[in-house]
Amino acid sequence: MSEVIKTKRNIGISAHIDSGKTTLTERILFYTKRIHAMHEVRGRDGVGATMDSMDLERERGITISSAATHCQWDGHEINVIDTPGHVDFTIEVERALRVMDGAVLILCAVAGVQSQSITVDRQMNRYKVPRIAFINKCDRSGADPFKVSGQLGSKLNHNPVLMQIPIGSESNMKGVVDLVSMKALYFEGPSREALVSKEIPAELVEIAAAKREELIDAASMFSDDLMEAAFEDNVTEELLIDAVRRGTISRQLTPVFMGSAYKNIGVQCVLDGVVRYLPSPAEVKNVAFDLATDEKEVVLEPEPDRPLVALAFKLEVTPYGQLTYLRIYQGRIRKGDEMFISRSGKKIKVGRLVRMHADEMEEIDQAEPGGIVALFGVDCHSGDTFTDGSVNYSMSSMFVPEPVISLSVTPEDAKSQNNMAKALNRFTKEDPTFKSYVDPESGDTIISGMGELHLDVYLERMKREFKAVVMTGMPQVAYREAITAKASFDYTHKKQTGGSGQFGRVAGFIEPLDEGGYEFINEVKGGSIPTEFIPAVDKGFRSCLDKGGLVGYPVIGVRVTVNDGKAHSVDSSEMAFSQAGAGAFRSVYMKAAPVLLEPIMKVAVESPTEFQGNVMGSITQRRGMITSTMEDGLFTTVEAEVPLAEMFGYATHLRSLTQGKAEFTMEFSRYAKVPESLAEELKTRLREKAKGERK
Amino acid sequence: MKNILLKGSPLRILDGTSRKSLGLGRMGVLIARAGVGKTACLIHIALHNLMENRKVVHVSIGEGPEKIQAYYQVLLNELMSACKMKEDDDSRQLVEQNRVILAYVNKSFELGRLRAQLENLKEALDFSPDAILVDGFDFASAEPGFFKDFSELAGLLGAEIWFSALSHRHISEVNERGVPYPCHNIDDMFSVILHLLPEAGGLYLRLLKDHENETFTERRVRLDPSTFMIKDGL
Repeated sequence: MSEVIKTKRNIGISAHIDSGKTTLTERILFYTKRIHAMHEVRGRDGVGATMDSMDLERERGITISSAATHCQWDGHEINVIDTPGHVDFTIEVERALRVMDGAVLILCAVAGVQSQSITVDRQMNRYKVPRIAFINKCDRSGADPFKVSGQLGSKLNHNPVLMQIPIGSESNMKGVVDLVSMKALYFEGPSREALVSKEIPAELVEIAAAKREELIDAASMFSDDLMEAAFEDNVTEELLIDAVRRGTISRQLTPVFMGSAYKNIGVQCVLDGVVRYLPSPAEVKNVAFDLATDEKEVVLEPEPDRPLVALAFKLEVTPYGQLTYLRIYQGRIRKGDEMFISRSGKKIKVGRLVRMHADEMEEIDQAEPGGIVALFGVDCHSGDTFTDGSVNYSMSSMFVPEPVISLSVTPEDAKSQNNMAKALNRFTKEDPTFKSYVDPESGDTIISGMGELHLDVYLERMKREFKAVVMTGMPQVAYREAITAKASFDYTHKKQTGGSGQFGRVAGFIEPLDEGGYEFINEVKGGSIPTEFIPAVDKGFRSCLDKGGLVGYPVIGVRVTVNDGKAHSVDSSEMAFSQAGAGAFRSVYMKAAPVLLEPIMKVAVESPTEFQGNVMGSITQRRGMITSTMEDGLFTTVEAEVPLAEMFGYATHLRSLTQGKAEFTMEFSRYAKVPESLAEELKTRLREKAKGERK
Repeated sequence: MKNILLKGSPLRILDGTSRKSLGLGRMGVLIARAGVGKTACLIHIALHNLMENRKVVHVSIGEGPEKIQAYYQVLLNELMSACKMKEDDDSRQLVEQNRVILAYVNKSFELGRLRAQLENLKEALDFSPDAILVDGFDFASAEPGFFKDFSELAGLLGAEIWFSALSHRHISEVNERGVPYPCHNIDDMFSVILHLLPEAGGLYLRLLKDHENETFTERRVRLDPSTFMIKDGL
């Protein structure tokens, strides 16, 4: 195992909006000497924080796009990804967590554990990310870091352990008592860059001793040596740090730090915490799927001499071209190397290899396992795996939540149309949760994403960056038609309009096909339809499936059996039998009792248990059927099947019902018959709409 | 399939009892060692109720709903293949529309929470269960008064409640009425007690308690270990 990798840390910084993520990151960059001046998120100097590199972010004061940067602290290389806080941008948080080995969870000392902290924490659990907590804004009026630390246990089911206690409270906060060294730490100098260690103030000695006891008790669960040392009253810093580190990496302990990023108190201690307690890339098990052996799981070894395996976790379009952020899991990347994209097999050459620092970059010659680098001009998708070609591995795909909201967009003029196409192409490559497609039935361009703000931002970016002015509307639900009964046909296509005529007779039956789709069975005996015309008959039936006779939606679940027919030695042709097939379908379709089907979505709503009744009610109101609920600690997940047509606006409704504390995922489950009570009205409405579109 | 299922359901062991069934507002328990098939047998009790158009709540303690859904699926598939059927949409629909799974993981189960969830189901979905199956409850750590409270809930809901109870090979305690651990001290809480046990001749279901009938003679039926349907003994 390389010694270098042990000194690497890849961390995400996540929290509720306005908890001070960007401010903390800014301070980290300053104290690690990556930047030489600090700017505020909504600073008077108009510069904006370094990590907020997009105009829109600076204007709104929120971080929309995560930016990666790296810095050095205490002989360690730390890669930091600053992640957005708003719930609509959770894919950014998810991506960061996917490639990070540890994280800093920021909590507000006044507001405590907020809704987004809960969401982010659940995401961290999903990716098994060890974390340390930083209770920020301890200088604010009403700050209570002890209460917030308790909430980590009560609201997030963590096992929090205080690593520090504050010296002074609210605006009088002067520093912290470090419970490992049992020293008072003060932050002095013009930018409080100098860490000064002093004796613990007399009034805090007792509480510091008590909290240290708690720390030792909690940590000794992870180290027999520490437990023994505690019995003998011989606890050393090393033993304590080692035990806390074990507990943290196993995600059974959450070390809690505190301070005020804005007032520059406690930031250096967080950096120490990252280095001491969060794992190096060598301590995290990462697996890939070997595509050559039926996707067998392979454990990756973070060794530079192993075959390269790297994951593209973020794409960004810069004025210089597409920038691809990569996390290297195994092997090394050197300038001039050739790499292969597992998905497409496409070969690419490494041109410029850079290390990113917000929107500035530093050219490097090579990068090793655990490294986070960026490449220029590589045409790939977010989530692609890169190898050196000697292995055919794919990293497990990133968890991409299904879009929950869709809108139709119509460009206002021809120029906007072009620009919109360019914008959509770029956005869909950058962000897997943002999708766009043209509805083949209405011809509308539909965009879908994770929430209204998510789509709003893209619409605004379209306008600002691509000068595309668009109007938005409501999307259509993808209804389908299906037959419910068996019906026979006997149809003759006959045409004589001078020259050679057209003749073809087909007979048989259509019936519902449970598996969905379409099946054609040829049971013609004795050559009543010559074999060479059978594919044409099939084609004729198939051509009718795009538009059913009930309302005009595609038809699914049909089995066609042709068992008889007739051909003419001169007038029969492929064309004639294709027309006969189409005619037969049209003639028999309404006899087979067609019905309208609607897409049913599998919906899972996760909320604090107190809102369970509201959530269930909201699902029932939307014609949903609850299949199960699962209570886990303070949360309940309600699973249900709900018609897609009823899900528009659900995100907003759910937010208002649960004070923004619930989130939901939705995926297609199946098509089901529209209930009789709604079908007639819906059919009339859809027919009128279809007529309107044809006009 | 419905008729075949009802005909061979392990619940038919109650046919010869004083009340012919567990009865609304009453509690029953199925005791077995780990891995013998408690959950499968409990699901059969659920399916029996579902096929009779009764509503069922399946409470799973420790396992998420996916696993329970998959279990139902497997048993239904086994039953269909035993009936030589390819698919039975009606039965599946009956199961899906009349069953709600309530899962509690990471020590989240409390009677109060269950009560609140049942109230939510009633208010939001107008769903009042006729039968509640509680699988995975740890009898050894039950608070005093738990079963009494549960019994009151059963009476209040007018639902029959079935528990599964885990016995251990190394704990051989049996009370004077022949009820083994972990129900030997609380057998008065249950109207019906069933014991599922593998023996040399196959998998047997024994009736250990028949309501208030103290003079009943022990009944036992042999189950098919793959479908859990009664093979013989009725």
